[in-house]
Amino acid sequence: MAQPRPTDAHRAEFEGLLAPVLERAWSTARRLTGNAADADDLVQDAVLNAFRGFRTFERGTNFRAWFLRVLMNTFLSSKRRHRVEDGALSLDDLPNAFIQRQAHEVVTAASASPAAPGDVARTVLGKLESDQVQAAIDALPDEFRTVAALYFLQDLPYQEIADLVGVPVGTVRSRLHRGRALLQKRLWQLGLDHGLVTPRRRNA
Amino acid sequence: MNAPRPMSCAEAFRFLDDYVDGEMVADELAAVERHLEGCRSCTDEFEIERQLLEDIRAKLAQTRMPPDLMTRIRALLARE
Repeated sequence: MAQPRPTDAHRAEFEGLLAPVLERAWSTARRLTGNAADADDLVQDAVLNAFRGFRTFERGTNFRAWFLRVLMNTFLSSKRRHRVEDGALSLDDLPNAFIQRQAHEVVTAASASPAAPGDVARTVLGKLESDQVQAAIDALPDEFRTVAALYFLQDLPYQEIADLVGVPVGTVRSRLHRGRALLQKRLWQLGLDHGLVTPRRRNA
Repeated sequence: MNAPRPMSCAEAFRFLDDYVDGEMVADELAAVERHLEGCRSCTDEFEIERQLLEDIRAKLAQTRMPPDLMTRIRALLARE
């Protein structure tokens, strides 16, 4: 049986709940997809899916969480349709806290340096433009970028990320830790490329 | 009962990511916290890592949706 046409009140209620969560949803979509045009498409597809399923939304519960689930389902089913395999990427040797480790080496190498490693690390990151940080996360391989987007932009615990992505929590933990190390490595390299930090001088 | 063996700095550092994310199980958390209580250097480094992640989060939060997105969505919904 065909669904009745939505009423103006039904539409207004949906739009009223959507408006406050849209900005964060778009930011998440932007990071998930890696570009603005695909983020637009993803959000609009998710909005349509959510609106068509709005009768199943339990009033009084968390609309943001409900819409995020719809957004992720829309994203994952679109990815399955346009599956692109990431190239093999070895991160086995990449340590955690990459920026801090590098900052330590820089400070240790500069014998007269008055700066603490933590100050060096945060200064490098502080001087990077937000566009550069965003581009660095966009350049992560898909599997890392997906969990990183949910971690950084939705501030979710590992278990909730696992539920949304449909993988075990251990997989989220591993992807997030490795993705974070890779992100830090890229941010540090950007700092070097832009002269925000003096590279460690190697002994001749 | 013997007291648990103290954790080394290297062992504590292996839990850094889980610690700053609040994702540790109780006994491991207790062991890391015991180490941090007696190690100023690790305490500083764990705190810096937490701040670095907050800095990254703040930069990413500066992404703005297109100003006309809600208008386009309203038009889309009006056709439903």
